[in-house]
Amino acid sequence: MAATQHTLRTAATIARMEWRLEWRQGHQLAAVGLFAVASVYVAFQASDQRTSASAWTAMLWLVHLFSGFTAIGRLFDRERSQVRRYLQWTAAPLGLMLGKLFHAVITTTALTGIVLGAFVLFLGWPVGIESPGKPGLLILGAWLGGLSMTTTLVFVSAVASQVRGGSGALGAVLGLPLLIPQLILATRLSRGALGDEPWTMLVEYPLFLGALGAGTATIACILFPYIWRE
Amino acid sequence: MKGGWNWIWKGSSIALLAYVILRGFSTPLQPGLVSATPSQLTLEEHTLTLLAVGQPFARENAQASDFELVLRSGDQLLATVLTDVQPHAATAKVRIPSTLPSRALDAFLFTPDAGTLFLGNACFVEDAAKGDIPTEFRAQAPAEAAPKLGFSFPYQPNIMESIRNLLWHVPMWFAMFFIMGLGFVASLAQLRTDSVKWDLRAEAAVRTGVIFGLLGLTTGSLWARWTWGAWWVSDPQLNGALVTVLLYSGYLILRAALGEDDRVGRLAAVYNVFAFVMLVILLMVLPRYTESLHPGKDGNPGFNSYDLDNSLRAVFYPAVIGWGALCYWMYTLRLRMNRIAYSLLSR
Amino acid sequence: MHALLLLNSLEGFFFGSGKAHVVTGVALIILAGLAFAMWRMDRRLSRLEEENANPPS
Repeated sequence: MAATQHTLRTAATIARMEWRLEWRQGHQLAAVGLFAVASVYVAFQASDQRTSASAWTAMLWLVHLFSGFTAIGRLFDRERSQVRRYLQWTAAPLGLMLGKLFHAVITTTALTGIVLGAFVLFLGWPVGIESPGKPGLLILGAWLGGLSMTTTLVFVSAVASQVRGGSGALGAVLGLPLLIPQLILATRLSRGALGDEPWTMLVEYPLFLGALGAGTATIACILFPYIWRE
Repeated sequence: MKGGWNWIWKGSSIALLAYVILRGFSTPLQPGLVSATPSQLTLEEHTLTLLAVGQPFARENAQASDFELVLRSGDQLLATVLTDVQPHAATAKVRIPSTLPSRALDAFLFTPDAGTLFLGNACFVEDAAKGDIPTEFRAQAPAEAAPKLGFSFPYQPNIMESIRNLLWHVPMWFAMFFIMGLGFVASLAQLRTDSVKWDLRAEAAVRTGVIFGLLGLTTGSLWARWTWGAWWVSDPQLNGALVTVLLYSGYLILRAALGEDDRVGRLAAVYNVFAFVMLVILLMVLPRYTESLHPGKDGNPGFNSYDLDNSLRAVFYPAVIGWGALCYWMYTLRLRMNRIAYSLLSR
Repeated sequence: MHALLLLNSLEGFFFGSGKAHVVTGVALIILAGLAFAMWRMDRRLSRLEEENANPPS
């Protein structure tokens, strides 16, 4: 009982700490947002303003993927080493993970909004599509796809952060293959949401994405204490 | 003698594989029809040629009267007159009536020695009206003779002779699953006990498993080129397989990045447990719930019969055991190397 | 058989012309080589293990 309380308190504290860091320093999300918008603008220029539905979704998810890497890839490298040492001694590992996950979920939600908004603003809809057939499903897919990528990235960045003298590159190397299934599901869902298939044909994709995200988050929580122990 | 049993199972694995290679490449394929020409028919008399692969369904100078060819349209049979039978081809004259229950015709070739050969949708009649086949065109189903083929592999459309790849591709994936499962157990034990001896096991298992995963991908790619016409197609099972191999390569990269760090065992074990759970999800759960071309899953009957065929089973099971044992042997070699290296380094 | 050669290359060329024996031979040679390499490595490891268990000095 006391252990559960400690865990929950840690989670709340970590989430609050991350949130404060965000506002105090204020550059993390802004940097990621800048990265995302700039990428979208490059995509806009590269695509000659006339994109097919498949190219549109491909670019959407490439931008989303790399923005996600930028945002989450260094989630466990943000504290200075003294703070980190302090957390390793005092914080409940599971609580720390939950706090970080919570923060990652908030960040991803914001990121999804930025990427999708910038995409529609600059590129408009794909050629031949006046407006998406199922806008709700498109947004839901972008969000769920982002989330299921994020939970995996949180785990990978936790592992990568333990490598002394490692750089962000290791996180990317380990993370990319792990994200392929999520990306396959997410791109299919987005393409379907743009077209005019009935939504019942696509309902399995959000379910799979949600299950993958929840599954990886659970494994990450179970395994995290072993990663974090010094 | 201490090493006696050791050499027996190692030798047996090689002997089994030698048997699999000899048997797998020398066993003839059962005859099967591959095509009918012309495939587009009009409402007149045609000379139809059916081609077959595999072992011959007829002797050199067979009598056409011993064979019978009927075409099926819907649930009714259309008569033909066989004019010539060669070991791998049969020629027949057929008159098409103006009314047919279905425009697609399936061919049944009744042979005295090779059983009944079937070719679904052998030809199409574009301009036939819908209706019953007139009585004078109809055929009675001939008596079916039991095939006398001897030891031979079953014929599958599209797969044909490449069915022999079953003895390589599938056991290699089995071996990979087996050895990765071993690595998973070792990693769980490593997390429980934090002892280096389990880490040495896990590393050896993953390294061996990656080799077999790559072999499985290669043989699978060859097979895909032959049956589906492309080296790689986007398919849940194939995506899962590729991601699995990449994942475990990530394990080796992570170990290399950690280098001499004393936490390498624990972190690698964490990653390995995660990787194995992903493997199970990617290769055993997701493909079952999404449409897949790959056999062994729903939606494709391509191989549902292979485990029923005794001749194939007689080679397939030795192949599974042989590859599994070879894989385990490789694993023990790597494990012993790891142990020696560890004891030398920590001396 | 000529019709089969046209039909698809594997069926006609490979099994029709007896090239399958060549493949069998090559596969057996590869297997023998692999078995020999693994056997030698096995022996070498046994020797190393022995040396490691009782150091020569």
